[in-house]
Amino acid sequence: MELFRSLATRMSVVLFLALLLGLGGAFPADLEAGPPVLEKPKGSACVRPGEWMRRNHMDFLKHKRSLTVREGLRVRSESLLKCAECHTSHGRFCDRCHSYVGVAPDCFECHLYPE
Amino acid sequence: MTMDRRTVLGLGGMLAAGVVLAPGMRLIAAPNDRTDASEKHRWAMLIDVNKCNPECTSCTQACRKENNVPLVGDPQRDIHWIRKVELHNKEGYGPDRSLPVMCNHCEHPPCVHVCPTQASFVRKDGIVLVDMHRCIGCRYCMIACPYKARSLVYSKPLVPPDANPRVPIRAKGVVEKCTFCVHRIDDGGEPACVEACRKEGEGGMLFGDLNDPKSEISIRVRQVQTTVIRADLGLKPRVRYQGI
Repeated sequence: MELFRSLATRMSVVLFLALLLGLGGAFPADLEAGPPVLEKPKGSACVRPGEWMRRNHMDFLKHKRSLTVREGLRVRSESLLKCAECHTSHGRFCDRCHSYVGVAPDCFECHLYPE
Repeated sequence: MTMDRRTVLGLGGMLAAGVVLAPGMRLIAAPNDRTDASEKHRWAMLIDVNKCNPECTSCTQACRKENNVPLVGDPQRDIHWIRKVELHNKEGYGPDRSLPVMCNHCEHPPCVHVCPTQASFVRKDGIVLVDMHRCIGCRYCMIACPYKARSLVYSKPLVPPDANPRVPIRAKGVVEKCTFCVHRIDDGGEPACVEACRKEGEGGMLFGDLNDPKSEISIRVRQVQTTVIRADLGLKPRVRYQGI
């Protein structure tokens, strides 16, 4: 009897999980956990390949920020304001991924991102 | 053939670089629209006090607008990059004077000397700047500056609706000051106060490169007698005055 009871418990847990998974599949895509969907950029090409930017944009910006402030290096085609010409919305592009991965860069506390 | 130590090291370095770069790496061509600060320039300003109207505030207003400098309202915590100062002659002769005072971009800036985090620094072209990413808001520089040119951001700044996106606002807890509108200079322009003074004021402010002997400011500095504020400190300020 003891064995049956625990077996029944186990079965119910498995059934419950299966039900949950089944329900999960029925939810619309935007409620589902998974890689965030970012807004399509306007332009045709980024200043670096997209794959590279996905991994390295933070180092790229941070490196250039020091050079820009301290050495006066200005690359017009790679300025932060230029990003906004293609990635028009900070909320629908940058923030979507940042909130998904749980990072809070404080760049935009001061740098104004033209919307 | 004998090779000296330098050649051997150089060849070794080139070989190492080749090995590192070889597997699947590609170098990205440097964009051709990049510029950086250069020692060739020595930016300076000349202010003709005779032309400065005590009623006029076009330079200070233009600065606030260009650099998103908020109006705090509390005189103790007010932020100003450029301010109008009244001079009164104690001995009772000569007219009272009105003149704008800002960061003098000294050649030997005491603010840079005291900065514990190296946030304050002198750029190659002589402009004294604060790297807001490094500033911890300790205010040593404010004490060191004889021109009272620096202000601490005491509270979270309000972003004006018509903010200039080219100049970031400053977060609470950093020290800010005049940058000679460095973003404009790097694009070949002049500071916003100088432009406003010429367009709306009396045209008493002149900005230029002292290293260029043909620039208007170099010619004027050679021709007329100019002075700096607190010359006795030997800081060699880059903002010169005429007619004090």
